[in-house]
Amino acid sequence: MTTGTDPITAQVIRNALSSISDEMALVIMRTAHSAIVRDSMDYSTGLCDRQGRVIAHGMTMALHLGSFPDAMQRLVSKTQGDTKPGDVFIFNDPYVAGGMHLPDVYIVKPMFVAGELEGYACTLVHQTDMGGLAPGSTAVYAKEIYQEGLRIPILKLYDQGTPNETLFEMIALNNRLPEMVSGDMRSQIAAVTNADRAFVRLLEKYGSATFRAFVEEMHDRSEAMMREEIARIPDGEYSFTDYVDGLGEDPEEIVLQLTVRVMGDEMEIDWTGTSGEVKGAINCPIPFTKAAGYMAIKCVLDSDIPNFEGFTRPIRTIAPEGCIVNPRPPAACAARALMGWRMLDTLFGALGRILPDNTPAAGEGGVTFPVIAGRHQGRAFVCTETLAGAGGALSWRDGEHGIPNPGGNGTNQPVEMIEAQFPVLITRYGLVQNSGGPGKYRGAPAFVREYRLLADEAGLIMRSDRRRHLPYGVDGGSPGTPSYNIINPGPDQQILPVMPMLQVPIRSGDIFCHISAGGAGNGDPLERDPELVAQDVFLDIVTADYAADVYGVVLTAEGRPDAAATQAKRAEIAAARAGQTGPDTTYLSHYLAPLNLANPVIEEERLFHCSAIAAE
Amino acid sequence: MTTTEHFRIGIDVGGTFTDLVFAGNRGSLFTRKVPTTPDNYGRGITAGIGQLMAMRDIAPARISAVIHATTVATNTILEGRGAKAGLVTTQGFRDVLEFRRLRIPEMYTLTFKRPEPLVPRNLRLELGERLGADGRVIAPLDFDEVDALAAQLTEAGVESVAVCLINSYANKAHEIAVAERLTERMPEGTFVTYSADLLPEIREYERTSTTVINAYLGPVLKRYFGSLVTELKGIGIHAPVQVMKSDGGVMSVAQAALKPAYIVESGPSAGVIGAADLARTSDLPDLITLDMGGTTAKAAMVEGGQVSKTSDYEVGAGINLSSRLQMGGGHALKLPVIDISEIGAGGGSIVDFDGAGVLTVGPKSAGAAPGPVAYDAGGEDPTLTDAMIQLGYINPDYLVGGELKLNKPKAQAVLKAKVADRVGKPMDQTCHGIFQVAAGTMVRAVKAVSTYRGRDPRDFTLFAMGGNGPVLATEIATTLEMKRVIVPLNPGVFSAYGLLRTPIQHELTQSFIGIVGDEDNDGMDRVFAALEQRLLDLMAEEGCNPDTVKIARFADLRYLGQAHELTVPVDPTASGLTDRAQMREAFSAEHEATYGHRTDAAPVQSVNLRVIGTVALDDDVAIDLKSALAAPTEKGRTRLVHFGDHGAHETPILQRSDLNGTPRKGPMIVEEYDTTCVVPPDWAATLDPFGNIILTAEETV
Repeated sequence: MTTGTDPITAQVIRNALSSISDEMALVIMRTAHSAIVRDSMDYSTGLCDRQGRVIAHGMTMALHLGSFPDAMQRLVSKTQGDTKPGDVFIFNDPYVAGGMHLPDVYIVKPMFVAGELEGYACTLVHQTDMGGLAPGSTAVYAKEIYQEGLRIPILKLYDQGTPNETLFEMIALNNRLPEMVSGDMRSQIAAVTNADRAFVRLLEKYGSATFRAFVEEMHDRSEAMMREEIARIPDGEYSFTDYVDGLGEDPEEIVLQLTVRVMGDEMEIDWTGTSGEVKGAINCPIPFTKAAGYMAIKCVLDSDIPNFEGFTRPIRTIAPEGCIVNPRPPAACAARALMGWRMLDTLFGALGRILPDNTPAAGEGGVTFPVIAGRHQGRAFVCTETLAGAGGALSWRDGEHGIPNPGGNGTNQPVEMIEAQFPVLITRYGLVQNSGGPGKYRGAPAFVREYRLLADEAGLIMRSDRRRHLPYGVDGGSPGTPSYNIINPGPDQQILPVMPMLQVPIRSGDIFCHISAGGAGNGDPLERDPELVAQDVFLDIVTADYAADVYGVVLTAEGRPDAAATQAKRAEIAAARAGQTGPDTTYLSHYLAPLNLANPVIEEERLFHCSAIAAE
Repeated sequence: MTTTEHFRIGIDVGGTFTDLVFAGNRGSLFTRKVPTTPDNYGRGITAGIGQLMAMRDIAPARISAVIHATTVATNTILEGRGAKAGLVTTQGFRDVLEFRRLRIPEMYTLTFKRPEPLVPRNLRLELGERLGADGRVIAPLDFDEVDALAAQLTEAGVESVAVCLINSYANKAHEIAVAERLTERMPEGTFVTYSADLLPEIREYERTSTTVINAYLGPVLKRYFGSLVTELKGIGIHAPVQVMKSDGGVMSVAQAALKPAYIVESGPSAGVIGAADLARTSDLPDLITLDMGGTTAKAAMVEGGQVSKTSDYEVGAGINLSSRLQMGGGHALKLPVIDISEIGAGGGSIVDFDGAGVLTVGPKSAGAAPGPVAYDAGGEDPTLTDAMIQLGYINPDYLVGGELKLNKPKAQAVLKAKVADRVGKPMDQTCHGIFQVAAGTMVRAVKAVSTYRGRDPRDFTLFAMGGNGPVLATEIATTLEMKRVIVPLNPGVFSAYGLLRTPIQHELTQSFIGIVGDEDNDGMDRVFAALEQRLLDLMAEEGCNPDTVKIARFADLRYLGQAHELTVPVDPTASGLTDRAQMREAFSAEHEATYGHRTDAAPVQSVNLRVIGTVALDDDVAIDLKSALAAPTEKGRTRLVHFGDHGAHETPILQRSDLNGTPRKGPMIVEEYDTTCVVPPDWAATLDPFGNIILTAEETV
């Protein structure tokens, strides 16, 4: 630990900084107008020092952790010497401004104390619409960024307190829901204004010199702590491969190839070998790629390293230009979040080899993002949902359902709220029987969410994944179950691709059903405690047939495990396995048959490709 | 004359102590602290009451009312000791209770475990009925299905059933029919509760969870209140027994047994209510209360004499920072509660260092056992109390008014070895640092109820209660630039006193989704009228004379599209109808006060309508201060006390009655039965006519 600021002053200032950034987050949550902010909480707040380095992050979206560093570096270098009290900046472009994707609009206020620049209050809000070819501005089927909406370079939204009306008008004219977008921008402005006041009070009390010294020390301490953590990991290369199913009706798989190199107290995250950029909106600009790495490391290291940007110094991200996680302009990137989720899975796969007890098998694969949009009774509506919540199993516990994906701590939207606002009826939101990957500890069951359209017609835009390339299991645990998008479930159902390359037309009375992927298992299902299997049957999570066929657990008429019969059944399954070449997919047929779905038509070994951790 | 004095008794049952306050209708005020008896709370309560009645020679017939605050409901949930309950819901939605709102209160974690639902999946059963968002029947209710569920639940041996159907906030007919049928078909005594009765508000998870909590608590609380009433009758007390609700009103034990979800935060509310009452009588209408005991500090806001309430609340999550950012650790309970923010810092909080080498105080606590090092009961970890003893804030020899001897040298050795040596500063500076960090942590609780809601704490007086509140109050006030602190009479048992200052109050809500100013205004008037009628009926059942009930209307409003509502008062026009222009204006003004901006062009949407009925206290009697305070006995006692930047001073030790209306400049320490009030050199103290200590910061030049 460096000397300087005493531990007591340090605590007081740190408390104040986190309280300011949480307060910003609260202001946005309470005043935002859009569902995506208020219910999905797709936004972030933070504070940066005078050099634009992050010094606090509000309790919002973990995957946004790295969303400020690149953007703030661009902002600082562009505005050097031309920043004055009362200025507020706005931008969204991922290529010229270090942004994420066009809907993520940054509003940043430089903060001055006694005429000196001392820091920045930063906000990022996923705006409901920024124009472009589809409502919501996140169409998977955009081919270049010019189709995705309004690109805003780093500009002044306020110049020394005077609003830039030209810019406000430009933004209002270039999106489908100007009232909502302007409402959400206002909530961002309110947040940075509040933060500015509190920040100035803090510095007036402790003095700029003390504050600046404290900031440097905290960056250094965070770096030192990160180095210490990394040094504990044995040197070596830890590789992992995961996949995205791909775009459209006949998808071409996208490979995420990762090597984590640990060298002393430094770490490299190397995406060399990853597929090239695609003609669809899932390309992921490099700032988000870095963010995924930082976040994954913070999750598994399980330590209280402060959120000061210094902690990123020992971590280097390598991604060849032109690959899907470091695309070149004008590659489309509006739905890049998908790559974020999958990069996290890949990172956890690699880091799991280092810290197996901290790292679960793969979960549902991130947020599924359906948009139902159209006109009803003369008014436009855009119903945007973010669906997630089926975790992979740990080496010591079943996967959790009913919690968000760790990358984005979002909420679901109340069914009643959706029905009160949009012409849809939600007919089901619940667990799917016999879903999830079996294991000594099983993955969380999949969930289903089903909508009936009440408007005459609407368009459905869809971004999902994990149908052909299932969530990977660990240590002999089975992969999670595949996700499905189904129109009008039943004998004549229509199955949609994971990412349709168009707006799917639906009509009044049509049902759209999304079944999430189920979480993957951890450990051999035949080693699962029969009591836990009996409990799952008791709670209707799995059927008795499934318990016998998949886990080899035979229950008595009272629902208790029958020890002798179970032993015999398990021996029988083990023997059958020995004579089998491919992986055991019994559990998939149990799951898919009641849904009128055949086992996925794919090469067997590839289906289980990602579950190979145990073998290596 | 005393023979005719009648008494109301306030009983606050806490984890360690049960506090009793007797307030007479002629101004007498008696207090007592007795050990809590968790095996049968009624026993401890009646023992304490019996002792006080004997000491003061009060016959049981002179007890006119008993008002009770209890943590039994919270503890039942925290300890998982509730009833075996079932849930009946709409087809397709049995898992709503388990999915919750997904969000969890931590970031960067891969191992979070969600709270177990209070009703397990096998007891959550579905019905094939369905209502639309407008309340229209989409699929009718089938009674044969209900009968089948009744049989299934009976077979499973449930004691209670919660009924919560999708969109029932818009039409309660199905829920009522289901609840009636279940009551008919299930064994006698089965506790049946339905959501539209408890909380006819939109958002299915929150409504379901609230109803389930009610079902989970129902049978337990019914037994608890039954036994309490029996015990009281056993010592001859037949006076009506009332229970404090989470929102600070009171309800009869009979009602509380039916709707225990209303009393979950019964305990902490009483002190805030007492503060609000004091705010109204002593002309300090704007207070922030700080209640600090051994493990937590709780803050709440009183504005214009009114307590601030919220319904963004959850139970079973441990600490509640009154912040939606940290929701998801417990079970949603969307009934009005006094907006109290709680921080894990109290006297027993352990002093430690985090991974970055920064000094921390709490949230880990040495608790009541082993307690701080100075208690000499096996505690090895230095605590805030140990530091406060070193500083001279707390009497170093024994706990004031208590039998507990303190071991200061031992605490000093531990603090030096574990903290001062590492910080590299002398003991007094280190201990004052610990004190400042603890105060800084509590500042977050105060900010959570003030700045987070757009209120400036500098406009408020800090109201300090609980054993440790008056020790830290001036430090917290200084940090927040608050100029005034008030320490009420009997700060250590103030909650029990607060119970006796509670008006009878009930609140009912009904969802009403509509744009303020659209043609649906007429519907709004109808809903208000119906709510008011229900409210009067309910209060009549509690024995209130309808003529004495004062009704106020409120609406939860938001700009169209926002997720969160603000509650604003609704004043009817002269003709008794809702004034839409006033509603819009009241909302925009509140939005501006809270968030700093308003959008006059945006449509304002109503979400819920509320009515609150109040019957004012009718026994405003001044406390007989002579009997409440000991005679002045200033003996010239002093001790060395460290005040940080203000240096160390040989400081006079006083008791409350040594103060008077003339400001007395610090430093000084005011010691009482179970609290200590610290007055630094730059503060002055006076005693007001009601017995409150008022501390004022010196104007800095």
